Amino acid sequence: MAHFAKLGANGKVIAVLTLDNKDMLNADGVEDESVGQQYLETHNNWPAPMWIQTSYNTYINKHKSGDDSKAFRGNYAGIGSIWDEDNNIFWPKKPYASWVKNTTTASWDSPIGDAPALTAEQESQNTADTHKWSYEWNEDNQSWDLTDTKA
Amino acid sequence: MQKKVLTEQALYYGDVAMPKNWDIDRDKLQSDILKSQITDSPFPFSKKFDMLNTYLREHIHLEYNFTLINKKMWGNIYKPSETTIPLLNIDPVDLRNSPDYTLLYGVKVKDCFVRIYYEDNRRKGRSWDLELKDNMFIMFPSTNMYYLTNNQKDSLNFVQTITYEYI
Repeated sequence: MAHFAKLGANGKVIAVLTLDNKDMLNADGVEDESVGQQYLETHNNWPAPMWIQTSYNTYINKHKSGDDSKAFRGNYAGIGSIWDEDNNIFWPKKPYASWVKNTTTASWDSPIGDAPALTAEQESQNTADTHKWSYEWNEDNQSWDLTDTKA
Repeated sequence: MQKKVLTEQALYYGDVAMPKNWDIDRDKLQSDILKSQITDSPFPFSKKFDMLNTYLREHIHLEYNFTLINKKMWGNIYKPSETTIPLLNIDPVDLRNSPDYTLLYGVKVKDCFVRIYYEDNRRKGRSWDLELKDNMFIMFPSTNMYYLTNNQKDSLNFVQTITYEYI
């Protein structure tokens, strides 16, 4: 089963359809995206170049099987994702205005990097369920704020 | 102090921005409306209508995150200088089978105005006016009464109506 994202204006994904693999075989019996695109144009009234194949098993440039060489186009396309033709990646919705693309991990990064790791004490309190420590991005201050959602 | 929105009355409107060279075939829709009116038969489902309907449903889902299910569809022709009677697409004694939303699409229109009535708590009989243009849609709750006016003396206005339930 193959998955194709239907693109609307500005490369936004408006729907994702599945396609039987046999419907995207070329004359040599090999799966070919352009054959699938043509099939979808014919049967779904939407231009072929605006159907882009996506991998159900790919997320942040990793493949669920563990073999990341099979990762395809960064992320599985969801409704609202943006197709980036230049980088060949489906981007999920940008979480914050200041975040930037990381094309290696096909994900959005904060401008100051990842959140700091929790301390061993905070981790143990989370495990004991006495606290629920986590870092949340503060867009106004451009910082990671430590919060305890159980407080 | 907190606020909880229990319900809202929203209008959705805009142009149907299809991909280049894939415009909605409004000539076909116009011809189907004409045929269905002349022969007094239901508006026929067609590939061209499906393009319009799919576009509307998918984009409403994308932008506003709710799913529309088709109820009925029909087309109307409005004569020059015609103003319709107030229209209401729900059956007040059968709300269960009534639609949630009414969508109007300008197939071939000129100087076509839509007035939608609504209530703002105790302020009854308020209205909102919009001009319906070619290839433009207006969607609003079916519980709102509305009427259309063909405000010129030269040509017929062709308007497609689609009603929806939402989930």
